[in-house]
Amino acid sequence: MANHSTSTHSQFFQHHFVDAEQQFDAAKMGMWVFLVTEILFFGGLFAAYIVYRLWYPELFVMASEELNTLWGGVNTIVLIGSSLTVAMAIKSAQLNQKRNIAINLGITIALAAIFMVIKYFEWTHKFHLGIFPGEFYAFDGIDHPKANVFFSLYYLMTGLHGIHVVIGIGLMVWLLLRSMKGHFDSEYYTPVEITGLYWHLVDIIWIFLFPLFYLID
Amino acid sequence: MSGHHISTDKTLLGVAGALLVLTVLTVVVHYLHLPNPWSIIVAMAVAVAKASLVALFFMNLYWDERFNLMLFLASIAFLALLVGFTLLDTLFRPEVIPGF
Amino acid sequence: MATAETNLKKIQVQRYEPESDPDQHYLNEETGLWAWLTTVDHKKIGLMYLASVTFFFFVGGIMALLVRTELWTPAKTFIEANTYNQIFTLHGAIMVFLFLVPSVPAALGNFFLPLQLGAKDVAFPRLNLLSYYLYVAGALIALISIVNGGIDTGWTFYTPYSSTTGGAVTIMTFGVFVIGFSSILTGVNFITTIHKMRAPGLSWDKLSLFCWSLYATSIIQILATPVLAITLALVGMERILGIGIFDPALGGDPVLYQHFFWFYSHPAVYIMIVPGFGIVSEVISTFSKKHIFGYWAIALSSLAIAFIGFLVWGHHMFVSGQASLASMVFSFLTFLVGIPTGIKMFNWTATLYKGSIRVASPLLYIFGFFFLFLVGGLTGIVLGSIALNVHLHDTYYVVAHFHFVMVGGMVMAFLAGVHYWWPKMTGRMYNETMAKISCVTIFIGFNVTFLPQFVMGSLGMPRRYFNYIEQFQIYHQISTVGSYILGIGFMMIFYYLIRSLYKGKKAEPNPWGSRALEWQVNSLPPLHNFHHTPVIINGPYDYHKPMDEFQLGLAENGHGHAPQHEAEVSSQEPTKAE
Repeated sequence: MANHSTSTHSQFFQHHFVDAEQQFDAAKMGMWVFLVTEILFFGGLFAAYIVYRLWYPELFVMASEELNTLWGGVNTIVLIGSSLTVAMAIKSAQLNQKRNIAINLGITIALAAIFMVIKYFEWTHKFHLGIFPGEFYAFDGIDHPKANVFFSLYYLMTGLHGIHVVIGIGLMVWLLLRSMKGHFDSEYYTPVEITGLYWHLVDIIWIFLFPLFYLID
Repeated sequence: MSGHHISTDKTLLGVAGALLVLTVLTVVVHYLHLPNPWSIIVAMAVAVAKASLVALFFMNLYWDERFNLMLFLASIAFLALLVGFTLLDTLFRPEVIPGF
Repeated sequence: MATAETNLKKIQVQRYEPESDPDQHYLNEETGLWAWLTTVDHKKIGLMYLASVTFFFFVGGIMALLVRTELWTPAKTFIEANTYNQIFTLHGAIMVFLFLVPSVPAALGNFFLPLQLGAKDVAFPRLNLLSYYLYVAGALIALISIVNGGIDTGWTFYTPYSSTTGGAVTIMTFGVFVIGFSSILTGVNFITTIHKMRAPGLSWDKLSLFCWSLYATSIIQILATPVLAITLALVGMERILGIGIFDPALGGDPVLYQHFFWFYSHPAVYIMIVPGFGIVSEVISTFSKKHIFGYWAIALSSLAIAFIGFLVWGHHMFVSGQASLASMVFSFLTFLVGIPTGIKMFNWTATLYKGSIRVASPLLYIFGFFFLFLVGGLTGIVLGSIALNVHLHDTYYVVAHFHFVMVGGMVMAFLAGVHYWWPKMTGRMYNETMAKISCVTIFIGFNVTFLPQFVMGSLGMPRRYFNYIEQFQIYHQISTVGSYILGIGFMMIFYYLIRSLYKGKKAEPNPWGSRALEWQVNSLPPLHNFHHTPVIINGPYDYHKPMDEFQLGLAENGHGHAPQHEAEVSSQEPTKAE
């Protein structure tokens, strides 16, 4: 190996890069390219949503009455808060405040967990009413033959989003453990940065899901 | 144009505050029950504004390499393609669901 | 870039000449089964992909022969109708998802992309290995579906049949879902690699056209594959949870499934063919000893194909019940694909013009590609027009068309690439005479198989049918004979390539006299490709410069990865690598 002069001190520097800057840039661009795939992954469901909403606008108005705007709003604020703390964690890493990285990540995990708990109660409440997706739909409060389609979309989109939140929690726990070992500092914080990007995208998707399901009139 | 932009607390808290205000605003507008096309337009405009704030300042696209911004916009453009061409069919069918 | 002028840095370089017979190379460092299974070396991963796709090509090929043999007589020949349905489904699914999609990008692309960029590896080597294992896992899951009831939906998994029929559709779609992730990760990796891992001096206008084609392919992979993933997930959900998005019995719309499916699967045919275009450009330039004609036209037409490929998917759905307005728009846009493809064909032909052509076996395969792909492409234009399409829809005409593109185009280009890069990958030369004989065999066998299918298709023989009326028997029998000739051709290739590993002559670093970067390292490249960061002074097609002036530079200082570095040659004496 040729000896590199600058910023290769980190134990996490990989041999096939020329310097740490290239490693950071590559990781970040890789994450962005991955986020493109995430947007199109959700995009299929958004497309289905738009098609059905334009076909049956009255159904969407009626069915969204069953969703609780208050708890949807609370969840939106919870996720915005978690996005803030992730951004704060990255900033702490950049400023070498190692303790603050862990604190901010901890708050993020807590907020994400709150989001999932609220989601859990929303779903179970609907299950009690007999609102199941697709062919198991057994609720007669909505006078529309296609009501099951709305709730299929609802469960699929919030469910897929929920899976992403759970994956995000897993990643945050991993980051928290590493940050407590002191792995991250202003020279090396790539995993915090790119996990943050992922988390913000999960937030953005919820920002659209909230008005699309809870705020129809 | 740097991947290492360090945001100040003021920026981060300001953005979060704006997101909060917009969230409250969109819920309030919902309860106002605007006439038909406008409620969805306002709701979506607020959502786009919020998403832009997150993308530009939390995800640092405002300071980042322009290529990453382009990737983000391209993904939305291709999503628009998927939706647009599908609607070209679904909105112009003689019957909503073709019979068999 | 406007600011590039001010950012230029001069790098001191020495000229570099590869050692002809090195002791250490990527195959004899880090040996042993475990080292292979856990390797993050892009070359070894490329070879593992090559072995895997070859295996699945043979499995899919055997299915094809079974189908053709069954069609020897109008009624049952030797297998039951249900088995026949499962076999042609597996033939399609295996060939598309396990061979065509990963073949060039994941096998040859993995091996040569970093070499052509002057990089030590792809940007994310571990992700690369993960992507290989996802491919293997997806393949195994898909194969489980065979023993678990089989699948007879055709490779397109159309709803509502796929969401209501028995069999192992859920397992199969899950397998394809996993393979899709493998494809996505490869795309993510390649895009980042091309952007961030280029050696100093390798500006965008010195990027090889193979890299350009992989770049276009990766863009399609990351934009289209996620939609397939969510679509197949929805089919799985329909079967498990009764989600009725695509099922008319539950209020859903089956045509919506076709939209989503073809939003992936039409661009996916460009995932299959565009890397083949890249190989054609490399081989044409090398064997006519000429700078490629219309470099930018070829590079940008790859991107144009990638883009237009997203605008045309509805031409698969002219008789599905979609709105006539959509059909008209899709039909019109379909014709646009012909433009960038035509640009490529003309530029390749112009590259040959007045070149000093050496008809070695890779170029012979490319000539086969020209003829077959031209037929495949032009019949595609025919199918793009609505009126003809309604007549020809789901007939053998369509089957013949896409086999001309996929086998005649893509497989021929893949074989050209394998023959072109075989010396670099294995360090051995194969038997040139046998290579030419088998190329001619494949060409003849292919035409005997698929030309009659155009005829019977336009006479009205529908695809996928088990029985047929007797007037079609002669065409089916000619086609079946051709398929066996084709099979023999592939077996011959397999034989002499394997033989070359043991008996073949040792390959020199640059047996074809190419100017491309991968030929400037030793045959059997070192484990990390380049001992030093190379500095790129010349482009990959600079045949107007004499070979002895054409070595790489080695950066002595300033190992910047930013492309703004300008190489300056300080020493005229070629130095041997350490």
